[in-house]
Amino acid sequence: MRGLQLPLSQTQKIRLQRALEQLESLSSKVNSDASVTVSDSIPVNYEDSILKGHGTQDLNGQVVATVCGVVERVNKFVYVRALRARYKPETGDIVIGRVIEVAPKRWRVEINYRHDAVLMLSSMNLPDGIQRRRTAVDELNMRSIFEENDVICAEIRDSQHDSVHLQARSQKYGKLNRGQLLTITPYLVKRQKQHFHYLEQYGIDLILGCNGFIWVGEHVEVTDDMVEDQGNKSGTSLTSLEVQERSYTPIETRQYICRTANAVRVLSTLGFNITLEVIKETIDLSLSVNLDIHDMLGSEFCVLVAEREAERRSSVKKR
Amino acid sequence: MEYVSPEGLRLDGRRPMEMRQIRAEIGTIMKADGSAVFEMGNTKVVAAVYGPREVQNRGQQISDKALVRCEYSMANFSTGDRMRKPKGDRRSTEISLVIRQTMEESILTHLMPRSQIDIYVQVLQADGGTRSACINAATLALADAGIPMRDLVTSCSAGYLNSTPLLDLNYVEDSAGGPDVTLGILPKLDKVTLLQMDSKLPIDIFENVMQLATEGCKAVANYIRELLLENTKELEYRRGV
Amino acid sequence: MLHSKSFVKKSRAGRVTKVVREHYLRDDIYCGASICKVCDSSVARLSASASTILVLDTNVVLNQIDLLENPAIDDVVVLSVVLDEVKNKNMAVYNRLRALCSNSLRKFFVFSNEHHKDTYVKEMSGESKNDRNDRAIRVASQWYQSHLGDEVRVLLITNDRENRRKAVEEGIFAETVESYVKSLGQPDLLDLLVQPASEDVDMAEVEDLRPSKRKVIYNEHKPMSEITSGLHRGIYHQGKLRVNRYNPFEAYVGSESIGDEIVIYGRTNMNRAFDSDIVAVELLPQDQWHEEKSLSIAEDEEDEEDVHLVPSSADDAPRTTLPQQDSSRETNPVSYRPFGRVVGIIKRNWHSYCGSLEPMPMPAGSGSVANALFVSKDRRIPKIRIQTRQLENLLDKRIIVAVDSWDFLSRYPSGHYVRTIGEIGDRDTESEVVLIENDIISRPFSAQVLACLPPLPWSVSPIDLSNPNRMDLCHLRVFSVDPPGCKDIDDALHCSTLPNGNFEVGVHIADVTNFVFPGTPLDDEAAQRGTSTYLVERRIDMLPKPLTEDICSLRADVERLAFSVIWEMTPEAEVISTRFTKSIIKSSAAMSYVEAQARMDDSRLMDPLTTDLRNMNTLAKIMRLRRIDRGALTLASAEVKFQIDTETHDPLDIGMYQIREANQMVEEFMLAANVSVAKQILDHFPLCSLLRRHPTPTREMLEPLLRTAAAVGLHLDVSSSKALADSLDHALGDDPYFNKLIRILATRCMTQAVYFCSGDLSRPEYHHYGLAAPLYTHFTSPIRRYADVIVHRLLAASLNIDKLPSIFQDRPQLTSISDNLNYRHRNAQMAGRASVELHTLIYFRKRPTDAEARIVKIRSNGFIVFVPKYGIEGPVYLTSRAEKGGGEWYVDEPQQKIKKMDGSLSYSVLQAVKIHMEVVEPQPNRPKLQLTLI
Repeated sequence: MRGLQLPLSQTQKIRLQRALEQLESLSSKVNSDASVTVSDSIPVNYEDSILKGHGTQDLNGQVVATVCGVVERVNKFVYVRALRARYKPETGDIVIGRVIEVAPKRWRVEINYRHDAVLMLSSMNLPDGIQRRRTAVDELNMRSIFEENDVICAEIRDSQHDSVHLQARSQKYGKLNRGQLLTITPYLVKRQKQHFHYLEQYGIDLILGCNGFIWVGEHVEVTDDMVEDQGNKSGTSLTSLEVQERSYTPIETRQYICRTANAVRVLSTLGFNITLEVIKETIDLSLSVNLDIHDMLGSEFCVLVAEREAERRSSVKKR
Repeated sequence: MEYVSPEGLRLDGRRPMEMRQIRAEIGTIMKADGSAVFEMGNTKVVAAVYGPREVQNRGQQISDKALVRCEYSMANFSTGDRMRKPKGDRRSTEISLVIRQTMEESILTHLMPRSQIDIYVQVLQADGGTRSACINAATLALADAGIPMRDLVTSCSAGYLNSTPLLDLNYVEDSAGGPDVTLGILPKLDKVTLLQMDSKLPIDIFENVMQLATEGCKAVANYIRELLLENTKELEYRRGV
Repeated sequence: MLHSKSFVKKSRAGRVTKVVREHYLRDDIYCGASICKVCDSSVARLSASASTILVLDTNVVLNQIDLLENPAIDDVVVLSVVLDEVKNKNMAVYNRLRALCSNSLRKFFVFSNEHHKDTYVKEMSGESKNDRNDRAIRVASQWYQSHLGDEVRVLLITNDRENRRKAVEEGIFAETVESYVKSLGQPDLLDLLVQPASEDVDMAEVEDLRPSKRKVIYNEHKPMSEITSGLHRGIYHQGKLRVNRYNPFEAYVGSESIGDEIVIYGRTNMNRAFDSDIVAVELLPQDQWHEEKSLSIAEDEEDEEDVHLVPSSADDAPRTTLPQQDSSRETNPVSYRPFGRVVGIIKRNWHSYCGSLEPMPMPAGSGSVANALFVSKDRRIPKIRIQTRQLENLLDKRIIVAVDSWDFLSRYPSGHYVRTIGEIGDRDTESEVVLIENDIISRPFSAQVLACLPPLPWSVSPIDLSNPNRMDLCHLRVFSVDPPGCKDIDDALHCSTLPNGNFEVGVHIADVTNFVFPGTPLDDEAAQRGTSTYLVERRIDMLPKPLTEDICSLRADVERLAFSVIWEMTPEAEVISTRFTKSIIKSSAAMSYVEAQARMDDSRLMDPLTTDLRNMNTLAKIMRLRRIDRGALTLASAEVKFQIDTETHDPLDIGMYQIREANQMVEEFMLAANVSVAKQILDHFPLCSLLRRHPTPTREMLEPLLRTAAAVGLHLDVSSSKALADSLDHALGDDPYFNKLIRILATRCMTQAVYFCSGDLSRPEYHHYGLAAPLYTHFTSPIRRYADVIVHRLLAASLNIDKLPSIFQDRPQLTSISDNLNYRHRNAQMAGRASVELHTLIYFRKRPTDAEARIVKIRSNGFIVFVPKYGIEGPVYLTSRAEKGGGEWYVDEPQQKIKKMDGSLSYSVLQAVKIHMEVVEPQPNRPKLQLTLI
């Protein structure tokens, strides 16, 4: 079992144990049987022609798992959904990455995939917002857009043959400032309609990257919601950037950033699904018990979160 | 020296066909993509797997499969006398190579072309059978990292002392200078990926010793499989729907 | 299975390291009692009817092992903690205890209490190792009692007062050995008891009452720490003490630190050390380096040279002390050999000894405890004081006694009675003594060993015939030549003429390895015995009788399995090709040497067999000549042959063993076969072959021979074996027996050939000096020598007939096997000689005889003579012992002469004298052969 590396007192241990048992009982029975480990045979109906997907191989006519995970079946298609693994890009995923190299006409971005992703200069909205052919001058000025070690947010344009291309054709994408980057295992982030969240009461932005990178930062006013070709809004966006540059992040916002980040940390240590709802609840919980930010990573809070999660899931189930 | 008493007990109280107590833990290093600690009696080994990731040295990139690298080391405090353990000495280079080759055999490297997988194993406490423990730990770490594998690799050693085949030699038995077989198998495929022997053995006795080592490997495999399944289930239920 | 761990810290010398070991505790260790309903009783050893189960404490095992070996003590639980302690303290006792535990007739059960979950005890803080072990013993006893319930009494036997007290407190039955043995009601068992140290003190006090004994007789031994530091600083020297077999007051310590032997002279200097003890020695100041009495007899104890057999090699011969000292004493008062004295004993080599009690008046009340002095048969061992309650029974018996202690207040060590062998002078008893003295295994073969034999009656099976590795040689005219009455025929020969004029000569050796498989009890037993032992009246076989006399023996007119060496030889005896094969042969004649010789000599006989014999003899003569040309020595020994009465087994006649051409012929081919096989196995297994070597004698060893030769005006060149052989050939005197005598003297200067493992030595060291062969091994007598069995296996493996047994991969074990073979081989020879000596005595008991003898050595008060007719050697005294050193005679060392002061009489070495031989009994039950000059 994945041990928590926290010193737990006896009672805390029991409480955690109980909470986890509750969670186990709540999980759907169908799925628990579907768990497989490397080299386990996957029972299939061999009379039907089946399609083997990821995480499976053929061994003397048997379908055998090659990774640890959960067997998923879609009609004839059988595959193993690996749990702990690196990120697998899918077109349209919103990811957060770190620029590691500025290359001719492109940035190489680390996105927790086995290869670095590529963000072409041409897939990028220029700062002036004007849609035009990229010139040699633009290429020379690439560093003014993103430098090495910048954290950026983008969308997967396509991923074929190991090469992953990103695009950032919207003002909501781009460089991320004034916040924290958290890395958790990707399976804890579920693909959803909305990955950008604005927590108004705290004044912070939360971006849940599908690749397990999570951004918690000061809220940035994004003027255009949808990607538009028109460059008439360049002025506002520029000013907003300038405003940001000049102003300081207020201490309360910083604390909220930390609190949110710690909430994500606690949840990821416990291996719970990371959703906006759960994060919010965790933040609320920490506030309700009047916990200091640094105490959030302690054992007591960890147990508390586990108990709250168990409660929450059982109430969801009842409904 | 008497390694097996006439009563059939070894120095530590085991019978010849018994392994030491084994224990393992998955996910001990948060930073790594996959990690595990594996204990065989007093031998304790930690393994961490990074990758598959971009190849660090472009020159080493292989276009049709992943590059597997392995680094074995011994902690300074791993033996009774606290000595600086030189890195990259012959012994550790050799064991690194052995582990790499053994693991590479089971990793489906063709699914991850042009990438790199790093396996780091470190001996925290040495009491014989470190090679086997390292391989077992590496298997767990690879499985934890979600790297597709043909099969699990499990390893166990066996020796031959006092005319008796002995399973899973500890340090004292290992230093007796007798024949010492380290075996690594793919339990499901029933194939051997590692076979090393110090000293000499007649072929018929060797077969007995190897048979014993195979039994040991299978026992380790059962344990590892159970552990992985339990771990997978737990990850799944904790995550929730 | 329950696993648990404990951590043990250990520190090693020098650096302190923490050692962590696992210690598994189990629940599947059974109690070994057949009445137990819980435990698996298939391995139970303790009898069901036992009312008392004994648990022994370590001190009891260490001190009372002789008692434990008595069948009266049974149903014993030996705890593993006790075994470990015994092992650390005394390996010999450990081995004996292990033998007891594995003996199926005895009910000794080993209980691994250290690994049992209920009986393991953890060391408590502040508790010493000993206390912890004592506690472990108590806990185990308690566990046994509660485990087995009230049906049996678990009795802890301990002589440790504290342990007994605590045991009683904890509700365990506990007794001392003495009280337990007394409760058994067998008074003779009490003799086996070693007196505890406390009573030793009492005895010393008793002795102290006598004024003459009050003094301290020996120096106290230095404490171990002082010895260690002394050794370190080079003040003391460590080595094994070897007592002169012929003069128990003289001993030698081979010291590596000095590079020379240190002479220890006298009991006081030996300071209670026994033969083979590892001792620490301090050198005496140089002015004490010469001992006045080194050549004659010292001290008040009776000691004189016995008549004994002529030694056959330097190993058997009495050591010559200080060869040049006497001659040079005037000019150089300081001997070049260092003298020393023992300051401490590092490791005792006490075991049990054979002998008898010194005659003494019967104490008044029979049955009461009496002190007696025990005299060992081995002269190197001092007298031992024992206590006995059965003195009247033991006085005329040969008994075995073990040594317990020797403190510096008592002149003699104290020991205890172990067992009786039989009556003194009885031939069977004395033979038994010979066997025990020489550590010959003479017990009957066990059932497990006999189970390894093929079913009887045995005959060659079709499987053997169809074996592709086995050649059918039944068509050949094979014959064997052996001593008359030989039943274990292990070699046979054939010789046929080939069309090209060459000869095909075959040596066929019994295929013992076809029946003795490695790793079987039969093989283990044979390996342990090492060799058959030939006594005058009986043979102690290495292999069970059916194998020795029937299945393996290459008897006439039956098909037998053999391992053959076949050469093609030119008529000039040049070997053209050599072949080795397993075979089936059918001997056409089993001849004695006499018969074979008669056939060859009888010119009328022209039958094929005789022709073969003659051909072989011709070849053998050429081979022999060539061998001698190479420098092989023709050595002589004075072997004697008894004629034994078939009814009483008493010797009827005695005479020199006659060597005929036929003997030499067979010997020649055996040598050739051995050499061929040695080459073959060494080629295939350069690291694990078993070979035989004969070290070149050093000049020092040949010194006595040279001096004797010089005295009679003979110059011997000893620079090489060839030179020596040549000068021996030229040593011809007017006396026909002179040459033989010189050869006998030469032989006894050499050491014996030894077995060794080829990986242990370098190639030049493989040399066999006596045979002048670079390689040699033993192949031709697998029925009676285990070395040959090993060589057979090697040869078979080299021919890919069999796999090489795993033992050959284990060099240390191979070395230990060859060491054991050397030890057994030597012991068997010593036993054979002792047996001949015994029978010589029996023979002369009724027949006082006059005979001619030769002087071989001059002594200060007489000389040593050699009686060729009977092959014996013994002292002739010119002065009676009472007037020792009377000065009537003086020794002329360079001339090797003893002269009367007035010059009227002189005797020189090699001179022939007439002597009278008679058995006398100076003391009752101590017959000995006395030689007197006529």
